[in-house]
Amino acid sequence: MKNLVGHLRSIWGHYKGRTRKPRSFMEIFRHFKEVLASNNRALEIITDMGEKLSGDYLFDINYVKSSYSELSSAVSGSIEIFEYLTQNKYPKLKDVFNRIDKQITMLTYDIVSTSGEMVIFYDDITWDMAHNVGGKNANLAELKYYLKLNVPAAFAITTNAFDKFIKHNRLDQKIEALSGENAEIGPRLNELQDSIVGSEFPPDLDAAIKAAAAKIKTLCGENCFLAIRSSAEEEDSEFSFAGQFETYLNVPAEELQIKEAYKHVVASLFSIKAFAYLNQFGYDIRKFKMATACVAMVDAVSSGVIYSSDPAGDRDTLIINAAWGLGESVVEGQTDADFYLIKKDSNPQIIDMRPGRKEYMVINLAGGGTEKVKTPEEMINSPCLTTEQVIELTKEAVSIEKHFRKPQDIEWAVNKDGNVFILQARPLRIQENTKSGVKPLTLPPDLNKVLMKNSGTVVQKGIGAGRVYILKHMDELDNFPKGSILVSKYDSSGFVRVMPYVSAIITDIGTPTSHMASLCREFKVPSVVGTGNATQVLKHGQEITLNADDGNISVYDGIIKELLESTDMNTSKIENIYEYRKKKYVLRYISPLNLIDPLLEEFTSERCKTMHDVLRFMHEKSVMELVDMARYGSGMLHDHGAVKLDLPIPAGIIVIDTGGGLSIEAGSDKATFEQITSVPFKSLVKGMLYPGVWHSDAVALRTGDFLSSMMRMTDITSDSSSLVSYNVAVVSGEYVNLSLRFGYHFNMIDSFCSDNPKNNHIFFRFTGGATDITKRSRRIQLLADVLKEYGFNINIKGDLIIARLANITKEDMEEVLDQAGRLIAYTRQLDALLHDDSTVERYARKFINGDYEL
Amino acid sequence: MDSYRIMVIDDEKIVGDMAKMSLEQEGYIVETFLNAEPALARLKEENFNVVVTDLKMKGIDGMEVLRTVKKLYPNTRVIMITAFANLDAAIEALRDDVHDFFPKPVKIKELKASIQRALSNK
Repeated sequence: MKNLVGHLRSIWGHYKGRTRKPRSFMEIFRHFKEVLASNNRALEIITDMGEKLSGDYLFDINYVKSSYSELSSAVSGSIEIFEYLTQNKYPKLKDVFNRIDKQITMLTYDIVSTSGEMVIFYDDITWDMAHNVGGKNANLAELKYYLKLNVPAAFAITTNAFDKFIKHNRLDQKIEALSGENAEIGPRLNELQDSIVGSEFPPDLDAAIKAAAAKIKTLCGENCFLAIRSSAEEEDSEFSFAGQFETYLNVPAEELQIKEAYKHVVASLFSIKAFAYLNQFGYDIRKFKMATACVAMVDAVSSGVIYSSDPAGDRDTLIINAAWGLGESVVEGQTDADFYLIKKDSNPQIIDMRPGRKEYMVINLAGGGTEKVKTPEEMINSPCLTTEQVIELTKEAVSIEKHFRKPQDIEWAVNKDGNVFILQARPLRIQENTKSGVKPLTLPPDLNKVLMKNSGTVVQKGIGAGRVYILKHMDELDNFPKGSILVSKYDSSGFVRVMPYVSAIITDIGTPTSHMASLCREFKVPSVVGTGNATQVLKHGQEITLNADDGNISVYDGIIKELLESTDMNTSKIENIYEYRKKKYVLRYISPLNLIDPLLEEFTSERCKTMHDVLRFMHEKSVMELVDMARYGSGMLHDHGAVKLDLPIPAGIIVIDTGGGLSIEAGSDKATFEQITSVPFKSLVKGMLYPGVWHSDAVALRTGDFLSSMMRMTDITSDSSSLVSYNVAVVSGEYVNLSLRFGYHFNMIDSFCSDNPKNNHIFFRFTGGATDITKRSRRIQLLADVLKEYGFNINIKGDLIIARLANITKEDMEEVLDQAGRLIAYTRQLDALLHDDSTVERYARKFINGDYEL
Repeated sequence: MDSYRIMVIDDEKIVGDMAKMSLEQEGYIVETFLNAEPALARLKEENFNVVVTDLKMKGIDGMEVLRTVKKLYPNTRVIMITAFANLDAAIEALRDDVHDFFPKPVKIKELKASIQRALSNK
């Protein structure tokens, strides 16, 4: 409600003192239609690209280039008309478009930006700099800027700096000479790493780092220390790279020390372990660029990891792992941690808390660096977070998850003053329950000896069988036999080297939030951590079968074929193809919709991050322009007779009559149904008024349904006393263009209805939806089922339905428009009811039979 | 039973990569090539049941691949894919007994179905 009031004020603000060039309504209306037409074209291209790049099609770069060029010209054309329409009310939109366009063009044509700074502080990082600063920096800066979360002072050393550093030391040829042959690569990588560590800095990078060190001290004091870690391009976005690269903690914020750490972080890109990881996911190490994050250290009393959605459970619970000191012990799985399971709610509740035995902790050393020390006896078993801190962490995690719209893997720390800091956020890889996945299979327990039962935590579901390989030392990984099961006391991200061919991983100690856990999910390696005693129960060389399922972990003696056959062993997926991911990456700047609620302050041109946002923004503001014209435009209102339609239902429609559409007295600001003389409009409204189709009573909504907020909003906006309406009908005697906005749905009906069937058309367009995608497509399906019945040509693209009907007689038109009016009214609240596919058919059938009960 | 062998020739790596992954899921043995010369050389060493080739490529193009295969390996079926909806080329290819002709982007399901038809026609 507060938002609405603010919104109204801002509308009023627009009109106070604003002078406009007088324009004819016909002109405005023409521009409006042009904007919509090119927007529609653009949306069709976006939908097509989403489909063709979904993994179901073989496509090449020509397709991406030609589709995008079409899209780009449709959007820029639309912007031009939009600027006319709104008389440049949104001057920043064009800049925003250009920025997005530049990003996409660079990606499509493989252009690497060479200009730009070498060091950027977080306050100056914007969303489109991911290329320059890497995923980790970009995500953190975004949290600081948009969510105002407590992120320590920090700066990024960019990929440009990386390029210059490499070139300055003539390492580019050495890197270029690396190829995918695994056998001979080891010595060459080692040599390269040595060269990097012994490298000189180019003078300008030198100066930039020096300046950054001075500046960060002004932000966090003379005695400032930094965490210096990698921030590679795709890192923390598509792939986690969890624990692949070096991190240096508690580095003094001095030029020399920063440079030293920087060299080591860069060198870690060329470690054997990182090389194996990159190879596995198809990255070309020769083209890989690494930015670096330099984040002020938090003198952490406690720290840990949050999974904003429980990977093994419901999306409505969240996990926090916490340990004393710095978080390294948790993420590397080196110590037991406190475990919290929390119900995400407006009032979060701790469902389960298990204090861990935190024998070790990592602390900052006064002069720099860190140390793993024994935890003081009295602290070992005591929880390291207060309930208030748990709740605060939960709330922050939920807001981060909401912001990125994906479950998140978050690193946090609490300092001596009890302040919570966010140190990292990246998408959490959660296994989807695929139908082809693990079939439930119960074996007679007496047939196979159960070695271990329900000890530990499942990291990655699945079944793995093979010989036990008990790892005592990391060096032994070199000789790890393919297909074995890795059993180890601790977990380690170093296991990544064997992940492509390990059958399963079982550890004594470890948490499901460690780097290794992320990697296991990425590689889909069935794995269980924290079993306590696997290294003792299982014997080196013994054949076993691990069955890790939800809440059911069993380790059987021997290899159980039946179990193995129940899994779909082919887990390779299109997503693992680098070329595919790289090309699909452009969609990130095209399809996602970030501007959702026009009533929120965030609904501004500056917040547009994608082409879809730009289109949504223009659509909304174009409709508003018409609405504004009608309601507030000084002479315009009377000249064009914009009036409110007074109906017994709260449809909130404003009518602009361009001639012959209404029969009202001059100067009147209202029209009744009887006064409509526009033939197509009258039929539509007649349908909407048909007894029983407009359900005013709220449909029962499921908790958490996005729709609930939408429906409330609809009620407000359609309130006859409200100043805001999104529903505009532009009419003439033979024409109607009705733009309806119910919550997040846009519905447009454009119809010309005359005595000459050749000229007649009905164009029905419906898009939008805040509910989940399946319900959205169900509503689309319902509309399609019904419209088909009346002879419409239907075109469905994802979330969009376009239906056309033409060349029919006036009498038939009137009948169909009446039905369309009923359909609009009927389906208005239907989303919440469409729980499954069978209901779609049922409601469609009911509607066609004239039964409008919900 | 031995697995069927499929060859994919396309000058863009992504096409070969995606085709390989998708077709291997069906149990085929798949080899990919970025241009036709080494592909034709490989055909001399190994029998392939189906060749999926791009039409427009530098050097030897898809048309030439089709003719060579038809002449030297009459049992091998050829499926043509092309970025350009080129009717003339399609007609020409049909005349040369191409098994199928798809404009890109091509739905992987349809490609799989076409390969199955090619194999069962033997």
